[in-house]
Amino acid sequence: MRVIWVDGEPHKVDVEGDMPLLWVLRDEVGATGPKYGCGIAMCGACTVYVDDRPVRSCSLRIGDVAEGAKVTTIRGLGTPQALHAVQAAWIEHQVAQCGYCQPGQIMAAAALLHDKVAGKPPLSDADLDDHINHAMSANLCRCGTYMRIRAAIKSAAAKLQGQRP
Amino acid sequence: MSRAGTITRRLALLGAAGVAGGLVFGFYYTEPFRVNRRLGSGLQKGQHMLTPYVRIDRDGVTIITPRADLGQGAYSIQAALVAEELDIAWNDIKVDPGAPSSVYYNARVIREGLPVAATNGRLDSIAEIISDGVGRFLGLQLTGGSSTVADSCNKLRLAGAAAREVLLRAAETQTGIARDKLVTRDGAVIVPGGRALSYASLAEIAATIAVPTDVKLRDERDWRYLGKPMQRIDMVAKCTGTATFGIDIRLPGMVYATVCANPNLGGALRSYDDSLAAKARGVLKIVPVKGGVGVIADNTWRAFQAAKLIKFEWGKAPYPASSAAMFRKVKASFVPKRRDSRCKNEGDVDAALAGAKVIKAEYRVPYLAHAPLEPMNAVVQLKDGRLDIWTGTQIPAFLVKTAREMTGLAADDVHVHAQLCGGSFGRRLEDDYVRQGIELAMAYQGHPIKMTWTREEDMTHDFPRPLAVARMRGAAKDRQVDAYDLAIASPSVVASQFGRLSLSIPGPDMAIVAGAWDQPFRIPHYRVTGYRVPELVPVSSWRSVGASGNAFMHECFLDELIHAAGADPLQERRRLCSHGPSSEVLKAIGEMSDWGRDLGPNRGRGLAFTLSFGVPVAEVVEVTATPDGERRIITIDRVCVAAEVGKVLDPDNLKNQVEGAVIWALGHAMNAELTFADGKAVQTNYHQYEGMRLHQAPRIEVKALETTGLAHIRGIGEPAVPPAAPALANAIFAATGIRARRLPLISHDKIRFV
Amino acid sequence: MIRYALAILLVAGPAQVLAQDSTPGLELWGKIHEVFSHPRCANCHVGTDRVPMWSGPEYGAAPRPHGMNISGKGADDGANYLVCTTCHSKQNSATPHGPPGATSKGVAEWKLAPVEMQWFGKSSAEICKQFKAKESNGNREIAALAHHVTTEPLVLWAWTVESERKPPYSAKELGKIVEDWGMAGAPCPTK
Repeated sequence: MRVIWVDGEPHKVDVEGDMPLLWVLRDEVGATGPKYGCGIAMCGACTVYVDDRPVRSCSLRIGDVAEGAKVTTIRGLGTPQALHAVQAAWIEHQVAQCGYCQPGQIMAAAALLHDKVAGKPPLSDADLDDHINHAMSANLCRCGTYMRIRAAIKSAAAKLQGQRP
Repeated sequence: MSRAGTITRRLALLGAAGVAGGLVFGFYYTEPFRVNRRLGSGLQKGQHMLTPYVRIDRDGVTIITPRADLGQGAYSIQAALVAEELDIAWNDIKVDPGAPSSVYYNARVIREGLPVAATNGRLDSIAEIISDGVGRFLGLQLTGGSSTVADSCNKLRLAGAAAREVLLRAAETQTGIARDKLVTRDGAVIVPGGRALSYASLAEIAATIAVPTDVKLRDERDWRYLGKPMQRIDMVAKCTGTATFGIDIRLPGMVYATVCANPNLGGALRSYDDSLAAKARGVLKIVPVKGGVGVIADNTWRAFQAAKLIKFEWGKAPYPASSAAMFRKVKASFVPKRRDSRCKNEGDVDAALAGAKVIKAEYRVPYLAHAPLEPMNAVVQLKDGRLDIWTGTQIPAFLVKTAREMTGLAADDVHVHAQLCGGSFGRRLEDDYVRQGIELAMAYQGHPIKMTWTREEDMTHDFPRPLAVARMRGAAKDRQVDAYDLAIASPSVVASQFGRLSLSIPGPDMAIVAGAWDQPFRIPHYRVTGYRVPELVPVSSWRSVGASGNAFMHECFLDELIHAAGADPLQERRRLCSHGPSSEVLKAIGEMSDWGRDLGPNRGRGLAFTLSFGVPVAEVVEVTATPDGERRIITIDRVCVAAEVGKVLDPDNLKNQVEGAVIWALGHAMNAELTFADGKAVQTNYHQYEGMRLHQAPRIEVKALETTGLAHIRGIGEPAVPPAAPALANAIFAATGIRARRLPLISHDKIRFV
Repeated sequence: MIRYALAILLVAGPAQVLAQDSTPGLELWGKIHEVFSHPRCANCHVGTDRVPMWSGPEYGAAPRPHGMNISGKGADDGANYLVCTTCHSKQNSATPHGPPGATSKGVAEWKLAPVEMQWFGKSSAEICKQFKAKESNGNREIAALAHHVTTEPLVLWAWTVESERKPPYSAKELGKIVEDWGMAGAPCPTK
């Protein structure tokens, strides 16, 4: 038995240490926000935060998640009633098509903005593009919503610029 | 012809074609309830169907959206069509895909398969009638062929209008105030003086009122939702992780499973040893299924792990073992006995080429996997003689039939619950994964079983887009394209799909030459011949089907001929174009792309045009080719798209679909192919099947034309796919002089992408 | 370290160190190069573009840059853009083609080797030369290099995989080969 904190709630799970975090979340905890797409960190659909750092939960064994670590899924980032700035921008730009990759995209984008924008000196548009190109290309979207992802990140960045993280 | 006139004419023709129910609008609303008891029997207490698309109860109205949402926004657009006429507030819209039913047959999806060009005005109408008849006869509830909007546009607006009329008459009955004194607003009937009677409050009376047969549709000038950008109804859920896809279903007592089937597709399972797997943690049961083995466990990952422990002895596939051997089969099919169609044959190609300076080429395109990000999955439960299936599917009514055949259950005991799809691109037109789920449910009854494929299983058990080879000859004369002889050999998608239903197709398979035989160009000597390659790997529909590869072959060689003629690719296509709406599209693409403006060194611009699914689309791709030794590193800078769709229902969603189609097409054209070795697909995951990533995505500009109007409305999910690959290849030629005649483009040793 | 190197000198004797015939030494270098040029090692020993490589049996014949626009520019652990440990966790993935991981001192650690230690795309002679030169080998004598390859957690991690991904020899054997090569005069090939 181990206890895993997901979106602020503790869950007791009885799993072997080499089960990837993704499957603990999806099948044991019932947190289906993170998705299974490739199983080998090639698509990013399973992205969650462990102690506020984005990770591919399909490639992280639960045994390597420290006891008491804080796991945040897309549902812990914001809710329909209290959207995170990135989620609001995603809706403003009508980004999603099938939507299956979007939890991972949004988690990656929110981490990028947290690291590079919120509370930081303003980035030029070219520098922001550079960061988007490098930080967001590990998240695959088969529907091809990349243009809108870029636009939504820029729109969220404009709102977050100068704000405290 | 006026719009209203067109609707009446088309429906009258339906009547003439033998539709039951004498009244013009009666067919849609009254016959379904006669022939289809199941729609009514599936209702909960207090629920009533006002029309097959409008369900009402004390909580309000639910719009039934029988076309699957694969990401294209089908739920939203179906809801908008009904809501526009029914008059409900956008935020109050609730949707439900409903129970599968032949009522929801698709009248338009067969259209693309008929050997009648969309440019043939008179025959086009007749083709639409035939399509409707076949769709209705087969009870074809199917999402595909970019047909949702064209099929639903009148049907769903009429359904909404009829339901509104019922509610108005219910209010008349309840209040005694004459119908013509009543109006509706945002889900309520408003009586003189302003009192609002919610639709929900009228539900019980409305259920007793006969559906009218003489409703009038709103004039499009009065549209409130349609024609403007609408917030997609699934957007908030999809951005907050609260949307439930098929793979996210959770039910009490649910267990988890995966299946390993023979990667030599169609080969037998000779034997297997599951002694290690049976002892693995969490394994509940190991079940043989057709061509493979299913592992049922208490967790999906445990099922995956246990499946890896099974030792299989697979039988061989019935097709040649390698891609090279398959391409040899394709090339050997350019012979008379394999000739499938020659629906374009103008002038005298042979005479025109005799004595001319003939340009020859051979092009090829590979197999392509659908690889939607959500791997195939299904939740199936067989319990006490009742079968429930929860899955993402484009063919819910077929699944009922499949399930009945497999289980022997009556139709009333089979329940398909269609789910949101994490992509599809045509993949979910197949029922293989659901069959496996049913097999597991039959062997392990009483529990819902969530069967999920690994990505590796998904990649290696697809029904891919077929490979194809084209051979072409052509000539220019007086600086104009004079002769174009195109022969395409490919396995038949339609024959493969029908074969799985134990049906054979009468006549030619137009998918073999789609996007090539029916192009609106008045080339003096112009011939397109299709050759049908005997089945190799089982194949299926892949976003834009035959046109997906044929456009590359047709448009790149046309580019070669235009260059040989010394003409301009845009001006020559405009000169050759014989179809008004297509000419408008070409004119528009020239303007929006600044065609002719110098791009500077190492840059190039390519044009392609394809008319598919009744939609003329022109695309211009701009690239930068950075020299790197012998190689050129290609950056795709900008893509312009002009398309004629008749009428735009949601400009923002249209743009999203076109952007996605372009990225889909360019990504696969750049780097994707499914190859075979030892009878098995080589590519097992996205590291070998990359597609486009964000940093490679160009700017995309979209212009939708509406010159043909609402009566000629068409869908846009697929038609922007075909011209993208040839526009890219033509741009690379313009920038580098390299003529790539094979997809993916990275198979050319001098072409790489940034 | 220096004492250790001196010890080797004493044990081995100057005659061997100064041996003119470099053939046995070159053979030893060949073995070292086998390890250094192995995809498991070389993929992250890259040059100034700071883009790790994808090469090895799972990627077909032609090596190519790591997909997904991954870049170590600005930070060897990727932190300037997307930190390596987003995907590369403490363990090697058991799934075919899954991301290899690494643990160093109990935490996930995965990063590019410094630019001066670039192996990928360099010839055997170039790698040998920079391996020997203190300015590009972390200021190490040969003996220290032997010690490094047998004790540094990130180096040892290379051999923690099974299957086709595993480099040849073992860390211990490599250490011995480096020592022997040093005693053989640490010769480098001319090309």
